[in-house]
Amino acid sequence: MSIEPFNRLVKLVARAFYDDFTTKGENQPKSGRSDNRGIVVVVLDALTRRQWVREEDLAKSLSLHSKQLRRTLRFLEEEKLVTRDHRRETAKGAKIYSAAVAATGDGSAKDGEEKIKLHTHSYCCLDYAQIHDVVRYRLHRLKKKLKDELENKNTVQEYICPNCSRRYTALDALRLVSMEDEYFHCESCNGELVAESDKLAAQEAGDGDDNARRRRREKLKDTLQKMEVQLKPLMDQLSRVKDLSTPEFGSLLAWEARAHAAGRGGSGDAGANDGSKSSQGYGGTPMPFLGDTKVEVSFAGLEGKEEDVKSEAATSTPLKVLPPWMIKQGMNLTKEQRGEVGEESKMEGTSTSSQLSDDKKSTVQSDDKKSIQDEYIKAYYAALLKKQQELEESAKKQEQLSDSNIANGHSDTSSSRQVGMKSKRDPEEDVWEEAQYAGNTSESYRVGDLNVQADESGEDDDDVDWEEG
Amino acid sequence: MFFHIVLERNMQLHPRFFGRNLRDNLVAKLMKDVEGTCSGRHGFVVAITGIENIGKGLIREGTGYVTFPVKYQCVVFRPFKGEILEAVVTMVNKMGFFAEAGPVQIFVSNHLIPDDMEFQSGDMPNYTTSDGSVKIQKDSEVRLKIIGTRVDATEIFCIGTIKDDFLGVINDPAAA
Ligand SMILES: [Zn+2]
Repeated sequence: MSIEPFNRLVKLVARAFYDDFTTKGENQPKSGRSDNRGIVVVVLDALTRRQWVREEDLAKSLSLHSKQLRRTLRFLEEEKLVTRDHRRETAKGAKIYSAAVAATGDGSAKDGEEKIKLHTHSYCCLDYAQIHDVVRYRLHRLKKKLKDELENKNTVQEYICPNCSRRYTALDALRLVSMEDEYFHCESCNGELVAESDKLAAQEAGDGDDNARRRRREKLKDTLQKMEVQLKPLMDQLSRVKDLSTPEFGSLLAWEARAHAAGRGGSGDAGANDGSKSSQGYGGTPMPFLGDTKVEVSFAGLEGKEEDVKSEAATSTPLKVLPPWMIKQGMNLTKEQRGEVGEESKMEGTSTSSQLSDDKKSTVQSDDKKSIQDEYIKAYYAALLKKQQELEESAKKQEQLSDSNIANGHSDTSSSRQVGMKSKRDPEEDVWEEAQYAGNTSESYRVGDLNVQADESGEDDDDVDWEEG
Repeated sequence: MFFHIVLERNMQLHPRFFGRNLRDNLVAKLMKDVEGTCSGRHGFVVAITGIENIGKGLIREGTGYVTFPVKYQCVVFRPFKGEILEAVVTMVNKMGFFAEAGPVQIFVSNHLIPDDMEFQSGDMPNYTTSDGSVKIQKDSEVRLKIIGTRVDATEIFCIGTIKDDFLGVINDPAAA
């Protein structure tokens, strides 16, 4: 299934029917600058390159004023070419959408500015199935109207008396029937009435009224012919598209859910961002993730590790190995999650787990000692866990001794333990961050020190001490 | 199109109907007077379905007649331009044919009959296709579309067409 023929259809329709549309009212003067004819073509073309798109983002990327765009989109919605969706949402809601966009590989919409307040955001999307129907119906009506007029369909037949030239219409028929024969008769002179069109054919050069009528007929015929010729590409495209299955994006919510699922399914390989692949993902085969997975997916690696862990444990997907720095005391984990099953399965697990662990891994790989690393890391994490416990205890102690500690702190050397205590003093840093510092220092002193220095330098006057270590 | 509406009418009743059956007499007279009539505004009154309310009677000086304002519910039939109706053909001539849909008379002129149907005169004038498969004559049932109405104060007359998709003969009693 390809979306391309449908996009071509949309483009043809835009140029055939909407190229002279302007958002300006009739009464406003049309100066050169305010003339925005062709805006529909621009907007529709832009929409063929997108799926669901936030209208602000679309306005930005088209360099249009959002009001102008909205007016155009409202018009397109009335024309049944575009579906729109409006919702009040927080920055979080916008983020869900942005994540969906990222998953479909449409880079045009960037992660919007964080807003705490609720805002009504509008989204729009082409409705291909409806466009197909609407265009076919429009063409049908066009043709029918012209043909009906040409054949005098739906026009009230007129009759004329050849003797006294009195005119009647078909609405008088009841009064005009005679019992003697099968013709209509004039009310005043009882002459046999003649249907107007017959007279037209019989009489070659009639009066001005008849001439006007004939000219009109000619014009209609001309219009009909022109229509056939000019709309031929559109009709060809319609017949080409007729038997193809229409691309469906579904409602905004469903689309987001699917986009997430698709993005997730292909995570790790760059092909997920490829247009053909993502369109294949929308081909109607339902993905295993729909609806309820949204929470899990959108927050993964972004915030709330606790939540993440819980939702991951709750889902039916195979349990993942948690990065050891996430493991804390009191957590109820399986062996697999702790990564204690075996080297191979562990490697698999980490490769599919969230971004953060990937980052971690890549820094690790940059190290020289690749061969022994796995074992090393394992041992290291075990030690780390132990250290965390120690740290917690020492933190408790430290609270009691905090005053004296600050006084002594400057003379301390850079043991990894001190690093932990330092960061512990800052209540904003949470546990895993602290663990990272500690981890780096014990892994390779040089890297670790640089890290620490960079992080701590702006914080207080301790940096001199760190350099010494 | 049919509508169920409430109408009002002032009924004059002769004093001889005053008695315990006054109300029944009043309703019977209302039905006789109103059902089957046509007003340009509401269309044909098909049937009275109920009495909403009968107001206080007013005695006419000199005659003894009493006028009652009566509000009644009724079904009316009002044809509209563009409406599709099924009708029975009543008369066929060279100019076209007449048909009735209930109380409404409709004329279909010959240029609104499909071009492949030719007029055949005789005892039973009719319009027939060249292969004889479709025939419109008296008592044929046709489906037609109203393309014009003439609404007078007490009369509605329509003209129709059978020259469109899904219009034309739907049942031919002669063939059955
Ligand atoms: Zn005359």
